[in-house]
Amino acid sequence: MTEQNYNPDKGYVALLGWSLNAVEAADKFDRRYVVVAPDWAEPYCQEHNIPYVPWNFERLNDRSFEIAQTLKDMGVDVAIPLFEETVEWAGAINSVLMNNPRLFGQAMLLRDKALMKRRAQLGGIRVGIFEEAHDREDVVRFLKRVNQTLLKLDGDPNDPIHLKAFDKAGCLGHRVIRTPDEVDTIPDEEFPVLMESHLDGWEFAVEAWIHNGKICFLNISEYVTLGYSVFVPATPDLEKYRAQITAEIEKLIKTFDIDFGFVHPEYFVTSDGTMYFGEVAYRPPGFKVFELLERAYGFNAYQGLIMAFDPKTTEEEIKAFFPKEVVDAKGYAGCFGVYPRRRVVSRLEIPEETESHDYFESHELTPPLEETVTKRTAFGTHWGLVYFFGEDPYVLRDLLKHQEELDFYV
Amino acid sequence: MSDHQPASQVPTVNIDRLVQKLDESIVALEESRPFAKAGKLPKLFDLARRVLLQPGGCEVIEARSRKLEQAGVFAGTDWADPSILLPSLTTYSLQSPNADTVVIEALSELRLLAVAKGDYLHTGVSAEQAHHYLTQVLAINLGLLFGMTGEAEREQGKLALIAQALVQYVARHIGYEHVIDSLIEEIWRILEQRPIRVSDVRRMITQIAICRAEPNADLGTAGRGADRLISSLYGPTRACSEDPGITIYQQRLETMDNSALQNEATGFARSMHDTGLVSPYHAVFVRYILDGQDSLLSDALGLSSTGRDCLLCYRELAHALILESAFPETAQGLYGLALLLERGILYQPPVAPALWRQLRLSLCPQAYERLQFAYGYQPNPSAWLIQGVLNMLGQPLGVGQGNNPTCQSARALSMWAYNDPDYLLQMVAWAARDNEIVMHFEGQPVSSAQSLGGVASEVTLDLDPVSLIVVPHLDRIYAEMGRLCIGREGDPHKWVNPEFHGWSAGRGFAINVDVATGKLTDLEGFIRYFYASYHPYYNGNQPLIHPQPAGIAVTDSAARFIGWHAITILRVALDPDSEMRVYFFNPNNDSGQNWGDGVQVSTSGFGERFGESSLPFEQFTSRLYIYHYDPLERGEPAEVNDDELGRVIDGVYRSWGVDRVPADTLQAEPPRTD
Repeated sequence: MTEQNYNPDKGYVALLGWSLNAVEAADKFDRRYVVVAPDWAEPYCQEHNIPYVPWNFERLNDRSFEIAQTLKDMGVDVAIPLFEETVEWAGAINSVLMNNPRLFGQAMLLRDKALMKRRAQLGGIRVGIFEEAHDREDVVRFLKRVNQTLLKLDGDPNDPIHLKAFDKAGCLGHRVIRTPDEVDTIPDEEFPVLMESHLDGWEFAVEAWIHNGKICFLNISEYVTLGYSVFVPATPDLEKYRAQITAEIEKLIKTFDIDFGFVHPEYFVTSDGTMYFGEVAYRPPGFKVFELLERAYGFNAYQGLIMAFDPKTTEEEIKAFFPKEVVDAKGYAGCFGVYPRRRVVSRLEIPEETESHDYFESHELTPPLEETVTKRTAFGTHWGLVYFFGEDPYVLRDLLKHQEELDFYV
Repeated sequence: MSDHQPASQVPTVNIDRLVQKLDESIVALEESRPFAKAGKLPKLFDLARRVLLQPGGCEVIEARSRKLEQAGVFAGTDWADPSILLPSLTTYSLQSPNADTVVIEALSELRLLAVAKGDYLHTGVSAEQAHHYLTQVLAINLGLLFGMTGEAEREQGKLALIAQALVQYVARHIGYEHVIDSLIEEIWRILEQRPIRVSDVRRMITQIAICRAEPNADLGTAGRGADRLISSLYGPTRACSEDPGITIYQQRLETMDNSALQNEATGFARSMHDTGLVSPYHAVFVRYILDGQDSLLSDALGLSSTGRDCLLCYRELAHALILESAFPETAQGLYGLALLLERGILYQPPVAPALWRQLRLSLCPQAYERLQFAYGYQPNPSAWLIQGVLNMLGQPLGVGQGNNPTCQSARALSMWAYNDPDYLLQMVAWAARDNEIVMHFEGQPVSSAQSLGGVASEVTLDLDPVSLIVVPHLDRIYAEMGRLCIGREGDPHKWVNPEFHGWSAGRGFAINVDVATGKLTDLEGFIRYFYASYHPYYNGNQPLIHPQPAGIAVTDSAARFIGWHAITILRVALDPDSEMRVYFFNPNNDSGQNWGDGVQVSTSGFGERFGESSLPFEQFTSRLYIYHYDPLERGEPAEVNDDELGRVIDGVYRSWGVDRVPADTLQAEPPRTD
């Protein structure tokens, strides 16, 4: 049951999508809130007296205005997207709530990876080579052309290209293609896709809370292995780029005309220190980075999200709420996504060395439901996360890397 | 959880750091909103598991038991209310392959240990209750206690270490020998109530026997008193005293002369009537003598002249009942048969023919499956049901409700077995053969097959065979009758009780709780009329004729209200110390309860018959909230003197009357082991 005491002078926010951690953070915070989620969330919300408006986020349609109007009539000030699929809804709703049609266009831009890259390019942000593909022929052509550009001869090993769905979060639908043969493995329903050249560099992500066009807090998340592990704050090796990264984010804010909210972009930094923009999302990152931030710094990243979106938030509140990057962190928090390594598994067994490690915190793994592990297509989804926390970022990094060699399912 | 790695390779765990993480996760849970608590639990359970695996882990958890409970680790689970926990279930949870189940059970036991030691003052359970509960837990998990690990533990891997460490830690604080001796005492106390269902008792006795046979388990001097119990199951007579196995025993029988057989017969009978337990060898023996030696049957059943007379009159029926139902697995039915014969109820004209019907009853698939599910494939379900019928008719006060909120149905079965045996047999026939019972409520038929559902969402299998088959039907009818009373003013028991239990339940109805407000109402009138109807000094020395349903406000040992409970008032009489007592039947599985404020329900030693509970009249009245009477015989309110009246009223005020809860539930809580 909600025990919330909200401050009536502050904004009233709508959370788009169901996230228990986000709801709890909101409930403990001083902003009035309402959850907008599909109707399967209704019994739970009713049982626990969580403020709730049912809505099914399918494609935008002619009823979209209805939810915007409902929230407006309720007095909601701003809608906050929690998932990739609700980003354009937030844009559409906020354009009504704030009487600012531009917000919808902005959201659509942030939802389509191809449009996003073009816009970034227009803003003078460095991006790799990319193109849309509508069928397999497009992919083969792009693969050849990229490798021609790289002055490869026939028979040289190709540089890979990356295929990504236009509008999915993170690694969903992400494939790496090296040879024309592999192109045949792409199912029809995955088209159209975005194709990108492979950037040899250090990939990392940024989480930035933005209010009144200014960065309130900027975190750099270091990937140990993409799709496997991440930790915050980053090692000094990556943090040394902080000034440069901040400048890149400011460029991003300007290019995408972002006044408030939260962005989660990904970049590559090459060995000569050049930053390449990968993509940007206007919603909380996956891999529980918000939870890692709370572990490392002690502030609730969802509450930060609410503050950043709330138009009634003051400068002083922001200052008081967010800690100082890196120096205020109590340690380093990271997590590892487990994929079963064997084809047949019978049970969950946390490796002794992992469980006994000082840095090991907890895990969210569940016993296997089936014995046979489905072959991973694309990057696939991990079976659960294992959390670590410790004082030394290098120990943590190596520990996360080492987990890749261990069996959690045997 | 790989146990193939030698311990030396395992990095040592920093326990302080682990405990610090545990403390953090307790705080996180505590500060969490109720709707989000479930999400915080897996981490906490996992940390608790890791702490428990460390030496000294149990201390760490025990010291935090209050914080853990207050943070909400048990919220929404059965463990949230420690007073309803059943010791017998801990075997399954402690041996579960699921880590969370083992951990929550461990957290709960350690919490109760803190309560038992007086370190944690709990609102739901007293130190004595906790101590008692833990003793039973230890008794039931003797194997774990003495490190006798089996296949289950191997399956469990490292979790078994937690279960063992836990049980041993608890035993160190409760006292090892104390466990076995109090277990033996406990078994005798339960047996003195002569329950029909003795499988738990059998299991406990078997555990003691196994421990005593185990050379590695050092019991010290404990357990010496278990001989009679163990022998009653595994070697009650000379020819089977070393538990030779059924085949060998059978061979021995064939070589015995008459006097040897005679010795066996009296040996079996003595043991059976001593404990109320029947050895499987007893069934083998009885089946053997039926063929040509049946003159020994009367001795083998230990019958008095009444029983023997009855046996001679109904010899053929008795033989048929034994042949159809007395197998080593169902040997317990012999005790029922002996007592049934002693009661002389076969002389009631409908009973013998009804038993013949029972012998030939074809079971509907539902009943067949339910019996098979609960009791297994050997012997067939009909034999189990006949055994159940014999036991229920022989021991009407041995009926128990199992772990079900169906005290009303259990009470009805007991009442009919006691008072109206052919009606009970009719109910069994309908339920077992037709899978439907129809009763009438104010002229309107109420069918169990067409009911919306009973008070209990699901009736569990921990019941005697008759209850197993009949209770689900009765429960639905009872609930349906309750539904038919919706909209009537006042307590529905007023109409339901007489219609449900039969004509002999008094139509007059007295209640001292206002249903709408839950507050006490006209307590004095209620008490005075109760004296006038039931107390021999105030009702013209009229003994109670038919057992009457009554409602009790059950309180715990701290005299705190627990729930409403259905019982039967059987008789009111002077006890050996010339104190007026109410003798009643309590359908819960163990009636020897401490109801607090000096009210200790007695089950033996005050003139109780097997299965009866008793309390001094005043004390009983102080927990009574509903009774029935015959409106045509109701006299004037009794001139109870002010002292006595005051004591009863004070007893109410000091216990369940302190803070009245509304009477909105139809039935009692599940049984409590106190």
